[in-house]
Amino acid sequence: MTSLTLKRLSVFALPIAAFAGMSTAAQAQEWTPERSIEFVAPANPGGGWDTLVRTMSRVIQQEELADESFAAINVPGGGGAVAWAQVARDSGNPHKLFATSPPMILVPLAGASRYDHTDFTPVARINTDYSIILVAADSEYQNLEDLLNALKEDPSLSVGGGSAPGSMDHIAIAGLASAAGMEASAVNYIPFSGGGDAMTNLMGGHIEAVVGGAGEAVGQLGEGSQLRALGVSSEERLGGGLSEVPTYQEQGFDYTFDIWRGVMGAPDMPEEAVAYYEDLFAEMLETDAWREASDQLGWIDAYQNSEEFGAFLDQQQEQFSDVLSELGLLRQ
Amino acid sequence: MDAFNNLMYGFGIALEPINIAYVFAGVFAGTIIGMLPGLGPISALALMIPITFAMEPSSGLILMAGVYYGAIFGGSTSSILLNAPGVAGTVATSFDGYPMAKKGLAGKALAIAAYSSFVGGTVSVIFLMLVAPLLSKVAVSFGPSEYFALMVLGLTAVVSLSDKSLIKGLIAAVVGVIISIVGIDMQTGTERFTFGSVQLLDGIDFLVVALGIFALAEVFYMLLRGGGGKEAPRNAIGSLKLTRSEVKEIAGPVGRSSVLGFFTGVLPGAGATIGSFLGYSMEKRIAKDGDTFGQGNIKGVAAPEAANNAACTGSFVPLLTLGVPGSGTTAVLLGALLVMGVNPGPMMLTERPDVFWGVVASMYIGNIFLLVLNLPLIPLIAKILDLPKPLLLSLILIFCMIGVYGMSFSVFDLLLLLGFGLVGLGMRLFGFPAAPLILALILGNIMEESLRRALQISGGDWMTFIDKPISLGLLVVALLSLGLPLLKKRRKKIPPDVAV
Repeated sequence: MTSLTLKRLSVFALPIAAFAGMSTAAQAQEWTPERSIEFVAPANPGGGWDTLVRTMSRVIQQEELADESFAAINVPGGGGAVAWAQVARDSGNPHKLFATSPPMILVPLAGASRYDHTDFTPVARINTDYSIILVAADSEYQNLEDLLNALKEDPSLSVGGGSAPGSMDHIAIAGLASAAGMEASAVNYIPFSGGGDAMTNLMGGHIEAVVGGAGEAVGQLGEGSQLRALGVSSEERLGGGLSEVPTYQEQGFDYTFDIWRGVMGAPDMPEEAVAYYEDLFAEMLETDAWREASDQLGWIDAYQNSEEFGAFLDQQQEQFSDVLSELGLLRQ
Repeated sequence: MDAFNNLMYGFGIALEPINIAYVFAGVFAGTIIGMLPGLGPISALALMIPITFAMEPSSGLILMAGVYYGAIFGGSTSSILLNAPGVAGTVATSFDGYPMAKKGLAGKALAIAAYSSFVGGTVSVIFLMLVAPLLSKVAVSFGPSEYFALMVLGLTAVVSLSDKSLIKGLIAAVVGVIISIVGIDMQTGTERFTFGSVQLLDGIDFLVVALGIFALAEVFYMLLRGGGGKEAPRNAIGSLKLTRSEVKEIAGPVGRSSVLGFFTGVLPGAGATIGSFLGYSMEKRIAKDGDTFGQGNIKGVAAPEAANNAACTGSFVPLLTLGVPGSGTTAVLLGALLVMGVNPGPMMLTERPDVFWGVVASMYIGNIFLLVLNLPLIPLIAKILDLPKPLLLSLILIFCMIGVYGMSFSVFDLLLLLGFGLVGLGMRLFGFPAAPLILALILGNIMEESLRRALQISGGDWMTFIDKPISLGLLVVALLSLGLPLLKKRRKKIPPDVAV
């Protein structure tokens, strides 16, 4: 009887012990997801965050980089604030990630979100786009200096952008103006409902210039185009269709601006999980499928691991709050 | 002749068996998506991007364009049968379509919608083919001042949409403008009427209001009036056939609205919804029996249906000739083209003629498919009206709730839907017309944004609206269309309505 019980016990106990041992070992060294990962795009389908989430999920699945699938979920609202409020409630959950970019810093600084980047776990920076300044092809402005001088002389000249005041496009041009010795708030920034809307208005001659994302603008440049680029905010010249466009620094304005994109996770995500995702995303950036997709979308890889990304975000917050307070838009 | 050769080239692409299959799949999926409230073409197309990724760009765009105009085509079905607009572009169709269905003329209403959509779609493809490259100039000629004037012109329709009492119509319009303002103000980043709620930061979705005020309010109203023994039997679908005089009657409205709709669609940001409202209110004003609009006038179904399909095609002009999206839906299409490796831009017409002409040719085929697909379906779909009333009402209720929840996955939006249902019920009980509210909701936001943008560009100078010929012209037309009906009313010396 006793031996039987013991035997029985051991039959049960052995696998349990083995299982327990395995999982502790896994936690110590290698964590892997136990179910599919919710990958949140804090916006409607079709935008930048959504494209990042869907492209990453697709490449990871296509190249079989992970055992569990990445499920793209759209949580639109409040320029990201609705999704952030939702993720913030899920503290410690290693299966919840979201796409992020400068609004993660800007929206909280404008006082429109209870949560800011410090409430979440930075996972990795993935890639970046740059800001670009466009004028009509037949415009009198030949370079950045022409345009900035004209803006200095006549502050009523309008510069359109695709986002609200105090958001990416506005910061990009205000920061440049500031670097050129102007008051950041002196730029007559006209917010349009999107980069495409702003470019249409530039083609129609309703505004003087447009500040927007380089990736979005590249299709509008080149032979036969109605638009012309005066400069990009990168440190070095970009490739492809933008190789002819000089940087701001080349033209004597010491200013760069990154439209970075990355991934963050729920608050207090376990370190092992962060390490797993860091490696996974680094591996993903090396695949041909990713290469192909980024080339088509005009993305430039700019990987940073969790620690570097966290420090980068802190530094961005500092920089943006300076510009926002100059603009009188800081509400924190 | 050049256009003809190009079109033949386009048909060569569109008639490849695989592309015919894609057109069919696209318009079929679009029809279904359009019929279901909530799941609009935008989200459907975004979900399709991964599927089209590996496709030939012309095939991918043929498929996705089919979903888009198929949805606008199919959206009229639920507008007419259930008073629940399937997509934003078909709200105006319910104004006369639903009263027709109530009178037992559902079959005829659906048939008129299908024929008008077909004509609107086909006429606009001809325009797209012949004048698209020229029209790119028109599309960019509209700046903030011009948009403001266009929106003012659109809002004058409130006068013709307030059937009984102008005061009540104006009150409804003001409420509509207020709802359109909710959320973060684009110009300053200030929150307006959000009461600290994160869910309201992005404003209130148009479809939540439309489904609440039309469909849900109708359900409440029927519940309130009990089993409804007095009402005409709803189970009659009626004949699908149009008499010769009816065809004659709608020919004019369909023709005019097709052209109007197309040009509205060409303007970035205007689109199918505004196009259908403009078509509807124009016909209501022109028609001799304009005062029977809203009670089941066949012209009131024909005009918006022709206009919204034409506008849908028109919105491809800025996308295909300039590479800028004219609407939320074409913005997703633009993204899809990028993913497929096509650079949408001014050079696309010369660099990738296969995409442009293939899509144009496929639209002819797609519109024929839609007509052939939809007509035989009408008796089947209209059977939904045979359901016993309790079942039908619960079905509408579930339909609306799934639609709204599927849009945002937000319970908050469901509560909003319920709230607007009650608002709609109150409006019906006290004789407030719903159409001006919806119109003002659509136009209010764009009107305010363009007004402030225009003034910001001009440095606060109001003359910007007078100095620009297009905006001046539109404002004069607005003034005329506002003044004439009032004068007419005064001349008739109608006694002021005391109580409604």
